[in-house]
Amino acid sequence: MILRDLIRRSGRSIKSAKGRTILTALAIAVGTFALTLTLAASNGATKYVNKIISENFDPAELIVTNDEAIFGQGDNSKPREYDSSITTITQAGANRQIKRISDDDIKQIKSVTNVERVRENITIALRYITRPDQKRFLGNVQAISPSLKMDVIAGSMSRDLASKTILLPEGYVSVLGFKDAEDAVGKTITLAISKPVTAQSIQQSARIVGQTPEELSKLSEDSNALEDFTVAAVLKKPESSQPGTELYMFVSQDDARRLNDITTEGTTNFRKYNFVYARINDGENAKTLATAQEDIKKLGYTSQSVKETQQFLTSIIGVLQGIVAGFGAIAIIASVFGIVNTMYISVLQRTREIGLMKALGMRKRDIGRLFRFEAAWIGFLGGVLGSLLAVGLGTVLNPWITTKLDLGAGTNLLIFKPTEIVILVVILMVVSILAGWLPSRKAAKLDPIEALRTE
Amino acid sequence: MIQVKDVTKTYGKGESMFTALYKISVEIPTGAAAAIIGKSGSGKSTLMHVMSGLDHPSSGEILIGSKSLFGLKQRQMDAFRATEMSFIFQAFFVEANQTCFQNVMLPLEIAKVPARVRRKKVEAALKSVDLLDKIDSLASNLSGGQRQRLAIARAIVNKPKLIFADEPTGNLDSATGDLIIKLLFDLNKKLGCTLIIVTHDEDLASKCEMKIYMKDGEVKEIVGLNNKQPIVKKGSKK
Repeated sequence: MILRDLIRRSGRSIKSAKGRTILTALAIAVGTFALTLTLAASNGATKYVNKIISENFDPAELIVTNDEAIFGQGDNSKPREYDSSITTITQAGANRQIKRISDDDIKQIKSVTNVERVRENITIALRYITRPDQKRFLGNVQAISPSLKMDVIAGSMSRDLASKTILLPEGYVSVLGFKDAEDAVGKTITLAISKPVTAQSIQQSARIVGQTPEELSKLSEDSNALEDFTVAAVLKKPESSQPGTELYMFVSQDDARRLNDITTEGTTNFRKYNFVYARINDGENAKTLATAQEDIKKLGYTSQSVKETQQFLTSIIGVLQGIVAGFGAIAIIASVFGIVNTMYISVLQRTREIGLMKALGMRKRDIGRLFRFEAAWIGFLGGVLGSLLAVGLGTVLNPWITTKLDLGAGTNLLIFKPTEIVILVVILMVVSILAGWLPSRKAAKLDPIEALRTE
Repeated sequence: MIQVKDVTKTYGKGESMFTALYKISVEIPTGAAAAIIGKSGSGKSTLMHVMSGLDHPSSGEILIGSKSLFGLKQRQMDAFRATEMSFIFQAFFVEANQTCFQNVMLPLEIAKVPARVRRKKVEAALKSVDLLDKIDSLASNLSGGQRQRLAIARAIVNKPKLIFADEPTGNLDSATGDLIIKLLFDLNKKLGCTLIIVTHDEDLASKCEMKIYMKDGEVKEIVGLNNKQPIVKKGSKK
């Protein structure tokens, strides 16, 4: 028999036992459903992570630290010696002491071949922002990152922000009393930066012991440095930002350094940074990047590339997906026994038909194939049914998930790839064929004389 | 011509050995209608199975034309059976949940007949058994006589040289049976194929040109065309 006839005949016998076929296929469909959704979630999550990373980070940039503890590595079980450059950070709820990077370190890092630029990670101690006759608001000022993707709704923006200009998020426009975004551009806002308790200020306050509360509060006011900035542009609320960064304001790297210096001058924190970003010339090239990382390591610093961060995140996703996929696979393995059972029944029911086909000269091999195709049909139906249900449910749920998780419009957590589904269905058909192997062998080996005995 | 030469068929070994056929030698000329007659247990069905290659004899050989049936490899035997032989059974063995067309198509599919000529052949076969109007009906909607006619259409569709009919009227009332027999003989003459009918019905056998009487695994008597064939003397059976 030629292939097409075999496939058609096997399909016909599937049709003639609808109930049995559907029940067996349903068992496979359950597993397929879980696997399809898992694959889709994995695609979506990976794409989301990649999107966030590619829109917020430069792949040619390395995060360089003086202390591997910042990456959660290193031995925390032994006490470490005091060093004035050590500070405490909170990571996953635990306090960690880390050694910071100084200007000298930066000089060293800059000396590494292919390091094109080093920018410090600066945390500006902003008290509030305001403008005349307006309330004071909390805020977060960042140094502009060359790789961050930003949409401007008013004004114009360049990566090289001029000194004393600021990029203002949309959210501040109305609260600061601007009519609209256009109105804000070119206007001045004031940033209050906290000043440190330095030896000088202690001296000062020592001289003014015995002041009234009013005078003391005036003093506290004085410990803020007020800096005026011109709004260069208003930023649109980003669609795929890191959560919590929606209201970031941006100033140039130089301004950021200056503002930070105001806060830290005279303290042990002066010009000390948790980490710096080192941009590597041609760092998109994995080999160049690795060489630079190696050179940085030789100097005693630890570095991490965006790719490593990405891999870390996707590997977490991978583990979670693996667990769900495992359950799906177990469901499919369980359904294999269903197929074996169904196929044995089918062979028994069609003993006479098999006998007749053999008497008419059908080859053993073709009889075996006929039943294996029948098993493949069951796998195909189960696979298609399960994946269609998954795609259907996913399509319905996607908008809801996007809103619930606030992923930003246009981002879907469940991404179905047709090729993946096709491959999955093909794998299921192969698994079904394997499950149908023993029953099909039984059919092929059937003695036609026995099968055709009427009594 | 189909020649059965000295065929013996035994089952089991030693004490429990049973001889189903004992030194059978028969020649059936091409185009003849021959009946193998005997009571149940006489070995008539076993003889048919051996002649069609479904069963292997313990010794002896079957020659069809000049070809030795058991000299063929399994693959060649299958191909031979698909193109030159056909069967009609007492219980019809038509697939009830398939249409007449699909039932008759089976031998064509097995013989790998090209798809484009199949429909014509099926129609011709159904026409010769007067079932053309039922071509797309399910076999389950047919009466017993119609089902056997369908089985006959299936048997003749690929123009075999040899048709085996095992009690073809056994499940039918006598009037329907007579019609089936008439149809079989008409086709035998029209198509020129050899027809071998296995039956215990003397009435049916009497219509055949050649009658092979069997008893206890041996040929008792051959009447008709080939009565020159020496009748095997009853040997010493274990």
